[in-house]
Amino acid sequence: MTVPYPDREQILFLAAQAGLTLPDAYEDELVAAYADVRRMIDRIPRGRPRSDEPAHVFVPTKFPPTKA
Amino acid sequence: MTELTELGIAEAARLIAAKQLSPVELTDACLDRIAALDRQLDSFVTLTAERARAEARAAERAILADGPRGPMHGIPYCLKDIFDTAGIRTTAMSRLLEHNVPDRDSACQEKLASAGGVLLGKNATWEFAHGGPSWDVLFPPARNPWNREFSPAGSSSGSAAAIAAGFAPATLGSDTGGSIRGPAAACGIAGLKPAYGRVSRRGVIPNCFSHDHVGPLAWTVEDVAILMQIIAGHDPEDPGSADLPVPDYRAALTGDVAGLVIGVPWQWLEQELPPAPPTRAAFESALAVFRDMGAEIRDVSLPPLQAYEDAKKTIAVAELFTIHGQDLRTRPELFGASLRYRIIAGGLVLAEDYIQAMRWRTDLARAMQVVMASVDVLMLPTAEPAGRLEPVAPETLFTKTSYTTAFNVGGNPALSVCCGFAENGLPFSLQIVGKLFDEPTVLRAGHAYEHATPWRDRRPALVARETA
Repeated sequence: MTVPYPDREQILFLAAQAGLTLPDAYEDELVAAYADVRRMIDRIPRGRPRSDEPAHVFVPTKFPPTKA
Repeated sequence: MTELTELGIAEAARLIAAKQLSPVELTDACLDRIAALDRQLDSFVTLTAERARAEARAAERAILADGPRGPMHGIPYCLKDIFDTAGIRTTAMSRLLEHNVPDRDSACQEKLASAGGVLLGKNATWEFAHGGPSWDVLFPPARNPWNREFSPAGSSSGSAAAIAAGFAPATLGSDTGGSIRGPAAACGIAGLKPAYGRVSRRGVIPNCFSHDHVGPLAWTVEDVAILMQIIAGHDPEDPGSADLPVPDYRAALTGDVAGLVIGVPWQWLEQELPPAPPTRAAFESALAVFRDMGAEIRDVSLPPLQAYEDAKKTIAVAELFTIHGQDLRTRPELFGASLRYRIIAGGLVLAEDYIQAMRWRTDLARAMQVVMASVDVLMLPTAEPAGRLEPVAPETLFTKTSYTTAFNVGGNPALSVCCGFAENGLPFSLQIVGKLFDEPTVLRAGHAYEHATPWRDRRPALVARETA
């Protein structure tokens, strides 16, 4: 189960939480784009075992030391 | 004699080795053709003509003294404008990178330069290889050489257009959901998305780390194999790079596909995303060619295309926001509208959603490998023939399903080759997908098909004119 669908004001609040203080012209764009993204998110299967690791877990040997 | 600009890498390399063709002559022919025709296509955003001539002269001197270093020595090529090139502007088509001049080459550029290639310039793409086609970014979108009113698809659009137009025999692109294969399909050329990790992405501006692949585009599969031999291999500076031996790609091109087991995901093609009747007919004709060459064709069943799309795009929007968040916060007006729409909501994706999508990706990739264990390759169309070049509603990225994205999720190698032409002259495409890291079988199948069919004999009819 995903979180409840936010209304327009909540979407703008969440955007502000993400540091996005958008010009008015982009607010409609954000609300529409969020609806598209949210439809995909709502189709993701949930309820997995606790130990189920995602793709791209950290493999330390893949990240060799770099110069400071 | 074939026009110089119609020579592929293999044939040009043979002539150069035999001292029947000069790299300078070949480079000049490419530059002249670009100068005469690219105003119609906008496939290049930066041309490095003087540097190319200098590299060609140096290649010629070296070849005359010691013979060619390999098949790319003295061969012109171009790069999608997301590959870092030291001292040469690399913009990703974005106003955000208008003045970006890297101080180090990408790993692939290093390899092509070391092989003696001659860099002609940088190709148009979609903004950051993701948002497009756009008319509000740094350069206009590339056009399709088969008909300039049509799209070359994206995002390696300029790269594919340049090959089809005969501007260069070799180029590299990137593919996060189909961006090598789609343009290759639209422009009727060969384009390979290698397995995830086969080719280094170091120095390539990212689209989405977890699904980004780098690969070659060329007129023929043999030329794709030549390029793969040069760019493939482990790179410790790319965390996604696979530490595996690199096969001999050209040696795999035996022409023999007898006994090859081909899986066709018919439930995708009949229920979920049926191709248009002419596209299906072209695909079935291609299968018949393989059947006649002794291949066996089986029906296979994979998870729904929609599942692959949802997992990939949820991951992508979050990764894209991570990459571009600071610019969205401070100067959102510098993004093209198409890209901005496609990433702006990424800041609202929960960490839980991203990780759940990554868990799902694992399931979907595993399901892909289970099916691949029962066949040698999968085959399906790459895409419908190209549509008109016109603005696309930005939400289509989220709502449209493709035949290509599933193989970015799986990480499998996938090749697009031309399989005929529609009534309007635009190419049909065949996609050949292999087991993980089995590019040789994919290339063998594509090469055998090319030699069994006449599609490589037809070229776009471009005519020089005063104004484009």
